[in-house]
Amino acid sequence: MAEPLLTVRDLSMTYVRRFGLFGRGAQPIRALNEVSFEINAGETLGIVGESGCGKSTLARCLLRLLRPSAGSILFDSMDLLALSDDEMRLMRQRMQILLQNPYSSLNPRMNGFDLVAEPLRAHAAMSRKEMSERVASLLVEVGLTVDFMSRHPHQLSGGQAQRIALARALALNPAFVILDEPTSALDVSVQAQIINLLIRLQRQRGLTYLFITHDLSVIQHISDRVAVMYLGKIVEETSSEEVFRDPQHPYTQALLSSTPTPDPTSDRQRIILPGTVPSAANPPAGCAFHPRCAHVMDRCRRVVPAQRNTKADHRVSCHLYDSAQ
Amino acid sequence: MALLRVENLHVRFKTPFGALRALRGIDFDLARGDILGLVGETGCGKSVTGRSVMRLLDENAAVTGGRIFFEDADLLRLTEGEMHKIRGNRIAMIFQDPATALNPLFTIGQQIDDVQRTHRAGSTRDRRRARLELMASVGLPDAAQMADVYPHQLSGGQQQRAMIALSLAAEPDVIIADEPTTALDVTIQAQILDLLRRLQRERSISVVLITHDLGIVAETCQKVVVLYAGRVVEKGTVEAIFADPQHPYTRGLLAALPRPGSRGTDLKVIPGNVPSGLEAIDGCAFAPRCEFVMERCQRQLPPLMSLAAEHQAACLLHEAAVHG
Ligand SMILES: Nc1ncnc2c1ncn2[C@@H]1O[C@H](COP(=O)(O)OP(=O)(O)OP(=O)(O)O)[C@@H](O)[C@H]1O
Ligand code: SF4
Ligand SMILES: [Mg+2]
Repeated sequence: MAEPLLTVRDLSMTYVRRFGLFGRGAQPIRALNEVSFEINAGETLGIVGESGCGKSTLARCLLRLLRPSAGSILFDSMDLLALSDDEMRLMRQRMQILLQNPYSSLNPRMNGFDLVAEPLRAHAAMSRKEMSERVASLLVEVGLTVDFMSRHPHQLSGGQAQRIALARALALNPAFVILDEPTSALDVSVQAQIINLLIRLQRQRGLTYLFITHDLSVIQHISDRVAVMYLGKIVEETSSEEVFRDPQHPYTQALLSSTPTPDPTSDRQRIILPGTVPSAANPPAGCAFHPRCAHVMDRCRRVVPAQRNTKADHRVSCHLYDSAQ
Repeated sequence: MALLRVENLHVRFKTPFGALRALRGIDFDLARGDILGLVGETGCGKSVTGRSVMRLLDENAAVTGGRIFFEDADLLRLTEGEMHKIRGNRIAMIFQDPATALNPLFTIGQQIDDVQRTHRAGSTRDRRRARLELMASVGLPDAAQMADVYPHQLSGGQQQRAMIALSLAAEPDVIIADEPTTALDVTIQAQILDLLRRLQRERSISVVLITHDLGIVAETCQKVVVLYAGRVVEKGTVEAIFADPQHPYTRGLLAALPRPGSRGTDLKVIPGNVPSGLEAIDGCAFAPRCEFVMERCQRQLPPLMSLAAEHQAACLLHEAAVHG
């Protein structure tokens, strides 16, 4: 049995937005609402959802760049929220993040060598020679050549910049990498290169991934498991095959049917959701999805649906499944 | 006859690094009532093509060849005054980022009224009724109320709808939509694409839909034009292009997409990167990345060759088949 590397329990995060004279008014914004999941070592969990659903807040809480308001995060059996700042700094070597826009995370004044060497300098005592061997091997590992050591970010294409960011993230041999929309800014042909690379690195290094995206076709290709988020909550969670074979939450069904497929002959019925994602500052009562749901029932407007197992390995939060275990 | 016809269009930009050849011979026809997809990767010239039709190119741009016919008029030869009557009135453009295209200082209603007043006659009351109908038809709920809000008070999807309402106010024949859904969430994107299809059906509006998303093309368009490095490499009906892609670039793009069942396999990649447009290209621009490249591909510019009634590709592999 694979062991969970990461176990997240009832994680909540409430931002407080201040307004009014001297910020006397305060409005709580519930960005994460009792989020729970596990990721087994060496596996990929895909998190899908639309803008504002809390995906990036989740990523930042996991790295403790934000302090969650409640809940627990166990990483390799260690309680991250109980660690001191110094302990957490050490822990972050093992947890890395790759962002959508590589240019934003690469200092434009540094060249490829310095960019990849920077984390090594901060955390590992190495001779100059060891350092440059290490940088060279990281560059080759992400599919670049050693001459990228002398290039600056503005001399890189989007795909190349993402590879440099990846080499940087891998420099300290992390066990866990959060991939926050890592291919969304890339062209299709380059996206394919980066996805192949991520999968190969995962196999070779035994990496565990949390893959955040809004693109279901990418999720389907790369994830072992999928969690669908809506307004700060996980509304459905199961294996990747299962979510595409038998999506159960009406939101998941709509997401799947809204994703364009490159097949003009498919005559599937599209579910077009009305309205927009409501603000987390003012979430609808009951099931947060109810104003957009085609199956809405009276209790959906009043009662928050509990999470239920509809199958052994399939969890859904929706009143349509209230009779399930 | 085509409503809009672009013939051998060439556009260059002056840049600090020299002349950038953005378009190197673009050809396509838009038939009345069709949605035509203009697809390709970053920098291939999609937006420049759209802006050329509108004659809204940046100042450092020059059209160095070609013609653009709208009905019988060659748009490139019209005076600015004549073009002004076509722009907005007959051909309208919508952009990826509606926030920059809407005027932040006026309400949505005022902006639509402005277009109505310059383009159509009618009393204030008639205009108001038409305006509310229009806003309701693009799915802006509570049109009467929405007419009085400012752009920043709307969500991204609502702004895009307002932008579409604004472009429809003059009842144009053609809409050029440049990545109208790229900034939106998938469920909102589905709403906007559905709206475009409805406008096409109900008002026989013709649309040039600029996108990099092949899924959107497959679900929304009747015709497809695939661009690479400022040239058309393949065009045809969506059925032909998706079922039987004939240019190695189109094939590569389609094969690079993750799909149901692709899990556990390597995605097919197109090695290398797109050219920048600054270097001179003698032969096929795709040659450095093409797995079928032949010696003559480096020297000879492949022309568009007909493969079927509505299917053309610009690849020398087809030369023998067509001419032999
Ligand atoms: N004002 C300008 N000055 C110089 N070069 C320009 C200018 N506008 C566009 N270009 C160049 O013209 C080429 C075509 O650009 P265009 O914007 O049409 O690409 P696109 O296909 O729309 O790409 P994207 O998918 O990124 O929107 C690119 O090489 C681009 O850098
Ligand atoms: S012309 Fe030659 S290089 Fe260009 S796509 Fe065809 S085979 Fe490849
Ligand atoms: Mg563009």
